[in-house]
Amino acid sequence: MKLLDVEIAENKMIANGIYLLSFESDYLAKTFKPGNFVNILVEKDSIYPLLRRPFSISFVKENKVFIGYKVVGIGTQILSRKKKGDTINILGPLGNSFLIERFDGKVAVVGGGVGIFPLLSLCHELKKAGNEVDVFLGFRSKSDLFFVDEFEKVSDNLFISTDDGSIGFKGNTVEFFKTKIAEGNYKVAFSCGPKPMLSAIKSLNLPFKCYVSLEEKMACGIGACLCCSIKGKEDNMLHVCSDGPVFDIMEVEI
Amino acid sequence: MNLEVEISGVKFKNPIIAASGTFGFGREFSKLINLDLFGGISTKGITLKKRTGNPQPRICEVYGGIINSVGLENPGVEAFVNDELPFLRRFDTKIIANINGFSKEEFVELAKIVSPLVDMLEVNLSCPNVKEGGMAFGKDPDKVYEITKEVKKISSCPVIVKLTPNVTDITELAKAAEKAGADAISLINTVSAMAIDIETRRPLIKMVTGGLSGPAIKPIAIRMVYECFQKVKIPIIGMGGIMNYKDAIEFFLAGATAIQIGTVNFVNPNAVLEIREGIENYLKAHGFKSVKDLVGNIII
Repeated sequence: MKLLDVEIAENKMIANGIYLLSFESDYLAKTFKPGNFVNILVEKDSIYPLLRRPFSISFVKENKVFIGYKVVGIGTQILSRKKKGDTINILGPLGNSFLIERFDGKVAVVGGGVGIFPLLSLCHELKKAGNEVDVFLGFRSKSDLFFVDEFEKVSDNLFISTDDGSIGFKGNTVEFFKTKIAEGNYKVAFSCGPKPMLSAIKSLNLPFKCYVSLEEKMACGIGACLCCSIKGKEDNMLHVCSDGPVFDIMEVEI
Repeated sequence: MNLEVEISGVKFKNPIIAASGTFGFGREFSKLINLDLFGGISTKGITLKKRTGNPQPRICEVYGGIINSVGLENPGVEAFVNDELPFLRRFDTKIIANINGFSKEEFVELAKIVSPLVDMLEVNLSCPNVKEGGMAFGKDPDKVYEITKEVKKISSCPVIVKLTPNVTDITELAKAAEKAGADAISLINTVSAMAIDIETRRPLIKMVTGGLSGPAIKPIAIRMVYECFQKVKIPIIGMGGIMNYKDAIEFFLAGATAIQIGTVNFVNPNAVLEIREGIENYLKAHGFKSVKDLVGNIII
């Protein structure tokens, strides 16, 4: 990991309140693995927001790094106003990464909301490793859709769910995924999304391994502040930033 | 330019110390910066037994600061001694062990185990995020006196007592620590604080209240260092919201011999380097030879 000043190449809205930011960084592009995140200082010498903000790296194309985010608070509001040529300070790559290998069977990838972002490069690598990949994506509504074309390219089957049923399956993506488990012959699942969604996946007691990327509020991003601690299954403490963000779903309390 | 400072015989090559609770045991930051840059490192608060700490959420951001309630998550003294200290000892920096007891006897036990292995002890009588010990002890001058005296009896290295700002008169605590034989005091720990999400109507910290750190508390800290400087003769290690060298200089002028930097490490891991250079340049520009010339050098 390194501290880097990078120049924004592009920062555009790709769906309702959802932005995609890109910048060039040979170092990050070379060291990045799917699941990694970065801690961005959205404004230098600012006292509000004060802390850096963690964002997953969505994908990398040549030496360009792409980060997707949703505007939810002051930090992301400021970030969304940044323009091409503006400089931001980045700490990364941080955290562990998804397990990528050729699995003996199909792979399920389940994403909801902004949890979809880190899954794109994951799918890309899973396909590259020779896997058959089913992708389940959940959105609130048709107007919130993003990355659908991109996921089409890196999946064998893409299943969309929306809460309001405006496109795809009406309901949440875990409910839909549940209907496909029996016929899916899945060997492994990967997921990222809001906590209730991951908790619902855990309660399915899947007959195969499932790895999830978690999110917690954090300050340092490197395991020093202990603000993002979560409980492991043996009452041990794990840190989302440094032990994760990717965990075996059965090894953590969600 | 002389940045060296001395506290009770312990020579710090520069007056910048990483504040306890913001720097783990140094291991994490060592991947990013050279730990030799620090005059000292005050380690994550340790307890006799391993602690899992408080439930999530443990942190939220407010204007000019952060509220945290980590609750002294740590691996316990045995793991500290066996796994963390040998690593930290590789660096050319003074090691201060921050110890936390839930009774006087626990403080004594910790001091007995740790003091022969480190350069200084920091007796934490000020953690706001535990129900017993911590700030509950630190608000009572009699308790501060009693615990400091017992720790001093057993400790083979100099002892710093870390004070809480959550009292009417911090100088009473400073005087109690000094009377009991403390070699130095460090202040301020975080300020008890609270924030509420108006949409969910829930507190933003699971434990409802936590400790506020960051730029918002700096003026409070400066005032308290200044007040204590008038009342005690032992050295003061100042902290609270130091974000840059200018903040550091303020602390020296108010009466601090050394400073600790905490929250800024999260925002800018290079802060130690920038603050060190800033102090040097300030000394040069104002014709001072040493940091010592600044201590308490406020003009009223």
